Amino acid sequence: MLKYIFRRIIVFIPTLFIISLLAFVISVNAPGDPVNALFSGSEGGGDNGQNERVEREKAVLRHKLGLDLPLFYITVSSLASPDTLYKVFDRAEYASLDRLINRYGNWNEISAWSKSVKALRKAVLAVPLPDTSTVSRSEAENALLQRNNCVEIIVSLQFTDDPVQIGSRLEELKKLTAAAFWTNEFRTRLSETTTAFTQMSTQKSVWKTYIPTLNFYGNNQYHRWIFGDGNWLTGKGAVNTEGIIRGDFGISYGTKQSVTRTIKRAVPWSVLMTLISVILAYLISIPIGVYAAAHKDSLFDRFSSVMLFMLYSMPSFFMGTLLLLLFANPEMFDLFPANGVKPVEGYPEGAGFFEKFRISLPYLILPLITYTYSSLAFLSRQMRVSTLEIVHQDFIRTARAKGLSERVVIWKHAVRNALLPIVTVFSNIFPAAIGGSVVLEVLFGIPGMGREIFDAIRTQDYPMIVSVFTLSGFMTLVGYLVADILYAVVDPRITYSSK
Amino acid sequence: MLRRKKHIAQNQNQEFSFRAHAWQQFRKNKPALWSLRVMLLLVIIALLAPVLANEKPLYMKYGGQTYWPAFTSAKNYSLTNPKTGQTTSLELELADWKRMEFESVVWAPIAWSPGRTDEANMRYVGPGDPQRFIDANGDTLFMPGRFKHYLGTNSLGEDVAAGLIHGARVSLTIGLLSMSIAAMLGLLLGSLAGYFGNERLRTTRARLWLTVFSIFPAWFYAFSVRSFALRDALNNSGSSFLGQLLLSLLVFAAVIMAFNYLGKWISRGAFLGKIVNVPVDAYISRFIEILNSTPTLILIISISALAKEPSIIYVLVIIGLTSWTGIARFTRAEFLKIRSMDYIKAAEAMGFKEGRIMLRHALINGMAPSLVSIAFGIASAIITESSLSFLGIGIPPDIVTWGKMLSQGQAHYQSWWLVLFPGIAIFITVTVYNLIGDGLRDAFDPKLKR
Repeated sequence: MLKYIFRRIIVFIPTLFIISLLAFVISVNAPGDPVNALFSGSEGGGDNGQNERVEREKAVLRHKLGLDLPLFYITVSSLASPDTLYKVFDRAEYASLDRLINRYGNWNEISAWSKSVKALRKAVLAVPLPDTSTVSRSEAENALLQRNNCVEIIVSLQFTDDPVQIGSRLEELKKLTAAAFWTNEFRTRLSETTTAFTQMSTQKSVWKTYIPTLNFYGNNQYHRWIFGDGNWLTGKGAVNTEGIIRGDFGISYGTKQSVTRTIKRAVPWSVLMTLISVILAYLISIPIGVYAAAHKDSLFDRFSSVMLFMLYSMPSFFMGTLLLLLFANPEMFDLFPANGVKPVEGYPEGAGFFEKFRISLPYLILPLITYTYSSLAFLSRQMRVSTLEIVHQDFIRTARAKGLSERVVIWKHAVRNALLPIVTVFSNIFPAAIGGSVVLEVLFGIPGMGREIFDAIRTQDYPMIVSVFTLSGFMTLVGYLVADILYAVVDPRITYSSK
Repeated sequence: MLRRKKHIAQNQNQEFSFRAHAWQQFRKNKPALWSLRVMLLLVIIALLAPVLANEKPLYMKYGGQTYWPAFTSAKNYSLTNPKTGQTTSLELELADWKRMEFESVVWAPIAWSPGRTDEANMRYVGPGDPQRFIDANGDTLFMPGRFKHYLGTNSLGEDVAAGLIHGARVSLTIGLLSMSIAAMLGLLLGSLAGYFGNERLRTTRARLWLTVFSIFPAWFYAFSVRSFALRDALNNSGSSFLGQLLLSLLVFAAVIMAFNYLGKWISRGAFLGKIVNVPVDAYISRFIEILNSTPTLILIISISALAKEPSIIYVLVIIGLTSWTGIARFTRAEFLKIRSMDYIKAAEAMGFKEGRIMLRHALINGMAPSLVSIAFGIASAIITESSLSFLGIGIPPDIVTWGKMLSQGQAHYQSWWLVLFPGIAIFITVTVYNLIGDGLRDAFDPKLKR
């Protein structure tokens, strides 16, 4: 048995790997730059020094988040793109470089162009403005305006890949710098940049973009996300993150705090609701299903079949809304609170677990009914079918023939065997319960994981989304494992020795 | 005479036809048969939605000329007022149709479009409440019968009945299209797994290795090289993204095929040409297991958070890509049965290629049971869609869906009609598909029927 459980856990590893990979793909493709989302310092104005300080702070943050690493163990890229491209900090700049590579395929020329634009950006700020003592005030203002205009154009050059636009912008720069106050040094820089552009756009090697190359990286963002930045096995030496296998899910964009803290608060609610409802569903559905099967075609059987089928087709959020409409509505029956899991003012001080439970109970009744009924309908139908199947078998006939009472035949002989299929269904119900909990938690205001992911999507909080996704996948797998073990417990015929 | 011939034909045709038998079984199942009828009715409602609920008149006569505003694709009409002789341009989307005077006019049964505000009946007017109408002179009147909001309005004065009819369109589109994607994937993978099993796909070592290796270049040419085209399309619109994605998938398949042929060509010698076994079934079954253990709804929610502009297309593609496992399992089981049947052996003996046997012989016979899974799949896709729109995730704000209307009702409990009618619509649609699925299962597998 232990060996079997162990083997089952080993099988989970590829599944977990794929779930984590999916989550990683989502987080990498998330729109926006995480550094900007987390950066708390003031954005730099026009001041050169402050700008540089902000850039430096952002670079530190980028390193802290591990964004200066390559994405994955293996990356497929083209021959044209250098294997150090991931070191480009700015996402917008990275994108435009990437597009240039895709267009021209000549990295040397492209990097020369990019460097010359950067140099031009520095140079333009170094150009001295005419002093008000030598020229008129309006002329000086005009010059400042012109220079700012040039700065804007040069910045936009950094993020453009369209050759027509680049060309026209360079032309515009040339025209603007015809004024007297521009230094010759800047003009030569500008002409250098223009040559870099013509070189880049003429000496194409597009064929390189069609040759694939494989790159391997031991240390990458995915590895860091999973295992942290210390030793991958022991987690020793971790500085910024310990990795999700040690429960470190990163920093939320919304609260700027550790995601793990929020999740720790949310998980118990989700697990509590799901578990209680599944157990309740089993407790109620087994007698219903068995009774209906034992009295096949009776009034009870027909009535319960129709009812259960209808319940089964009823979307849970409709059921929940109807319950709220009926029982938490001042105009109908105001029996239960409509939202939340505890009074707004919180529990009284020093309340024990049972006291808390008693206070929370009215809040939990409607959600629990809604959580329970859909798996209840499914389970009862399943139980009825499997009992019917068993009732027709020989050993039941034998049991009847030896004179056992119908009660003993059904409840002792049939039910035990009919339980088998219904146990395997556990692994179907559990994921559905976790997934369905998003809607119900939002509807009833339960502060669980579904609620967290809903809020995270509204605020575009990707670390949160990815963490909840990964955790839900993990919990689903645990559900499968539990189902498998239960299966072995219920059916002693099953031995899990390897063939 | 004709009947007699048919009778004779039936007698002569003593052969047992599985499909005819299944249809007979299905017809005996009254709830399922009725569900089939209701489903057809729903499909007709969805198809005719613009005729059934439209604020534009179906037909109108003005200044001696006839127009068909509900059916035209024109944006403007230039109308000449017969009294003054003035010509004015009428914008079809913005026109105030109900306050215009026509010589004759035919309105749609529900003279409202979904998502259009009726200023006179804002703030949750119920079906039984007095409804107001402002006429051309600006006087407030009782609502004339033909413009009545039969099922009430929401906070913005949008007609619930019109929303229900157009919502049927969205739900059925998502249900049917996502299941067609799922059916294609499920049939393909299920038949591969069932037909080849773990031992029957044998190939040369070089061919296998090259095909596995070709995933890298295929990925490169399909997705890395085309990444900008894909990304731009993603920011552009859902349908253009779908087109680009299909193109990428084609490239992907083409590269793998190319390497496969290359492998066939170089399969010589003892090492490269050694025959090896590919356990297709094991791989596909493991893949199904993995997909089953991902929480689909949370996956859809997470992925829809990536798209800049929400679109129905993303939702239906993701549902389709994640819900094929049931179909694949059904098909696999069916193919396991079929592959040991005599006619397949006969086809093999006649030297047909495996592709032909699978497609022309096995698939035709093995497809029917997957219909069961497709019917249940449509039901659950509709539930997924309405859950998403209930949460307000993934569905564009300008599209009216049942789930969205329900969530409006949930926010305002006094307006029971906003909860009840869309909820019942979802319930009926889901029930109908579930009943059809049940009926099909009983029909195809008489053993289960009791």
